[in-house]
Amino acid sequence: MLNIHNLTVASGSRELVKGINLEIAPGEWLALAGESGSGKSLTAASIGGLLPKELKLSGTISWNGSTLTSLSPSLRRKTLGKEISYIFQDYQGAFTPFITIGKQLDELLRAHTDLERQRRKNMCIDALDNVNLPGGRVYTSYPFQLSGGQLQRAAIASALLLNPGLLIADEPTTALDSLTAQKVLKYIAKAKERLNLSVLWITHDLRHVRKFADRVAVMRKGEIVEQGAKDQVLNSPAHAYTSRLLAAIPPLSPNGPRRLGQLSKNSLQREEGALL
Amino acid sequence: MLRSIGKRLLELLLFFLLLSFVSFCLLKIVPGDPVRSILRVDDVAVTSEQIEAMRTQLGLDKPLFVQYGLWLKQLVQFNLGDSYLTSRPVFSEFTEKLPYTLLLTAGSLVVMLLISIPLGILSALYRNRWIDQFSRIFSLIGSSVPSFWLGLVLIQFFAVRLQLLPPMGEGSWRHLILPSLTLGLAMSAIYVRLVRSSLIESAGQDFVTSAKARGIHPARVFLFHTFRHSLIPLITIFSESIGSLLGGTVVVEVLFAYPGLGKWIVDAIAARDYPIIQGYTLFMSVFIVSINILVEMSYRWINPEIALKGKIES
Amino acid sequence: MRSIIAAGQPSGRHLFKKQAVWPAGLVLLVLVIVMISPALAPQDPYRLIVSDRLQPPGAGHFLGTDHLGRDLFSRMIAGIRATIGTSLLILTFSMLIGVTIGLLSGYLGGLYDRVFKRIIDAFMTLPDYIFAIVLSGLLGPGLINLLFAVIAVKWVGYARLVRSVVLQEKEKDYVALAILGGVTPLRIVMKHMLPHTLGNVFVLAALDLGKIILMIASLSYIGLGPQPPAAEWGSMLNEGRVYFNTAPHLMLAPGLAIMITVLLANLLGDKLRDQFDVKTRKEA
Repeated sequence: MLNIHNLTVASGSRELVKGINLEIAPGEWLALAGESGSGKSLTAASIGGLLPKELKLSGTISWNGSTLTSLSPSLRRKTLGKEISYIFQDYQGAFTPFITIGKQLDELLRAHTDLERQRRKNMCIDALDNVNLPGGRVYTSYPFQLSGGQLQRAAIASALLLNPGLLIADEPTTALDSLTAQKVLKYIAKAKERLNLSVLWITHDLRHVRKFADRVAVMRKGEIVEQGAKDQVLNSPAHAYTSRLLAAIPPLSPNGPRRLGQLSKNSLQREEGALL
Repeated sequence: MLRSIGKRLLELLLFFLLLSFVSFCLLKIVPGDPVRSILRVDDVAVTSEQIEAMRTQLGLDKPLFVQYGLWLKQLVQFNLGDSYLTSRPVFSEFTEKLPYTLLLTAGSLVVMLLISIPLGILSALYRNRWIDQFSRIFSLIGSSVPSFWLGLVLIQFFAVRLQLLPPMGEGSWRHLILPSLTLGLAMSAIYVRLVRSSLIESAGQDFVTSAKARGIHPARVFLFHTFRHSLIPLITIFSESIGSLLGGTVVVEVLFAYPGLGKWIVDAIAARDYPIIQGYTLFMSVFIVSINILVEMSYRWINPEIALKGKIES
Repeated sequence: MRSIIAAGQPSGRHLFKKQAVWPAGLVLLVLVIVMISPALAPQDPYRLIVSDRLQPPGAGHFLGTDHLGRDLFSRMIAGIRATIGTSLLILTFSMLIGVTIGLLSGYLGGLYDRVFKRIIDAFMTLPDYIFAIVLSGLLGPGLINLLFAVIAVKWVGYARLVRSVVLQEKEKDYVALAILGGVTPLRIVMKHMLPHTLGNVFVLAALDLGKIILMIASLSYIGLGPQPPAAEWGSMLNEGRVYFNTAPHLMLAPGLAIMITVLLANLLGDKLRDQFDVKTRKEA
């Protein structure tokens, strides 16, 4: 159970996130939508304490009863990667380029567990196999030897390695083509069923929301303007901004994924044009 | 892989041939006569017969191409000729002086690393705080001071006033301190800022955030992810500045009367000792090329992408 | 046709002009100081008064006197011309040679370019300091020989820089347009490529100035520069070191003068580079 209460993120005197409240129940998938600069990524970073030093945070964030925002840095770090995992938009930046995927997964296991070497290796290879990667080969590969979709799947494997309770996916599909994006989301959905995982999904693209999310929250200029069950928000939006966001989605065409990918890029530009 | 190495070696060979020929010609064109400077050592009236006899003895009466051919013929037998002045083989003089210069270079590098890495890291971590301002001023002044002047000031302070260290010469590790400090300080002035800016650039990379988000200990993230990434540009710049490092050793060796390669060549130039000058130029090019190959190999460790793809990213 | 060329060409020339105003003014000021410096010396920098030797700084002699009783302040002033003047001269010639060869190599391409590239690479492999030491040593000590030796190692940087900029620019549309429009190659080089390289060249030059001053001082110090009684800061340091204990001012004055000059040159270079970087980033 994730509880965000009155979260404010400020840069100097400017408030970028303005006292928002959010809750995610166990096994619930929440889509947090909004245009870029709406403060949704800052909200995601606040949960793990990953905000840049210049930004000031106030309010409380608690996870399963313990208040993350008042934990010591080292205790808080122990929850990261174990209880709470991240996936980011830029799959190129998911892994350090000059260290093999295997070593980086192993580093994660060593940071959080006392397991012995062979056991750790088996766990890593299993986790990679679980996202349909050739585990043995990927284990010894460097990031640049994998494709974008493979890297993002490896990033999911790393995020799910220690069976966390909360997965924060910050625009995990934006840099991928539509077909690959769909696959990545399916892996997350599979893990959600298997682990009763809570998912916080940051996105500016409402196309996939209907299929995967349980609940939707819409953010604009640092405030949550609307939240509720996905059907309610998507079918009868209460806020004008949500309607505009929805109107920016192109109608699904039967022309196949490639075409869709191109369309979505155009629609993004149109969306920006309409909103800014 | 093997073919590219072979091609590279062939290119190197051609380069050395060309270089040695050009330097050979240059030595013959420039004013000054080695025969006179050798005979002047004896400090007696020199007759023209003596000069001619000496010229024949050194083979200087033969045509330029014949002289160069003879030099090459000796070279493939690892013989670089004998010094005009001491009549000893250039090669054995070189191997005698080389350890001194290597020691001095190593000493300066140690000083450079000991200063620039901690100071660079601290100024990157505490950006625009006093330690960063300090390193900025240190770097600005350090890169503006002539190294020999710094050396003189150090001698004056540590050797003459405090009498802690020997002012010049060689003999013990204590003789190495002041020369190493002189060169090392001058180098760290440049590297402090480079370490800082490279670290700041690396710390902003997405993979650093990803590693933090996996709950890895910050010290570990810094050492194995951020710092290693920041080494890539540093090593490139270092390999490009080997030349000025070696040039620095010449000045510092003369200053501290330190019997390394630098003092050797300056003395040889003054005496027009051609075999030594010719040999030295060759050694230095070989040395620099070997350093560059070493640097390329260390790239492969730091950035496996190069090792696997066989290309260097700019 | 002209208007098409003008429209297609990035505003390199304009960019260069705008940011070069104050550094150019500064360089001019330095040049004037270098020119008139001999007139500023209060006393004859070469007059020996042996009875006055090794005087500390004071009323009669603002910076004291050296081991031969010459007025140090006057010698420092005379040294401006020897040290800074020589450096500027070296810089100018290195730039002229380097820019010319770089333009030729980059623009002509083909065989010329390959030959030039080989030469440039060969020079880059040799350590510049050592090459300068060997060369100036062989040519013999003296200011003119020193000048030749340092130019011989310094032109390469400019040639390499200009060549790479020209090779990049050559690919751009405006050059193709100009050729189609019948503009002569010489005109393309002088009117379009040259202005484009100059910004980079001046940044490099400003950063090089300090290095050249230090190089001259070092070479003078190991005895390869101007010979006594010439007043040059590096050789003055060499003469003064024997008297460090009794007359530290003999070493402090030229040392500090070199340091301050190089420091100013470096600051100028950094400033110029920052400005240029910002401008190029904005342009992109």
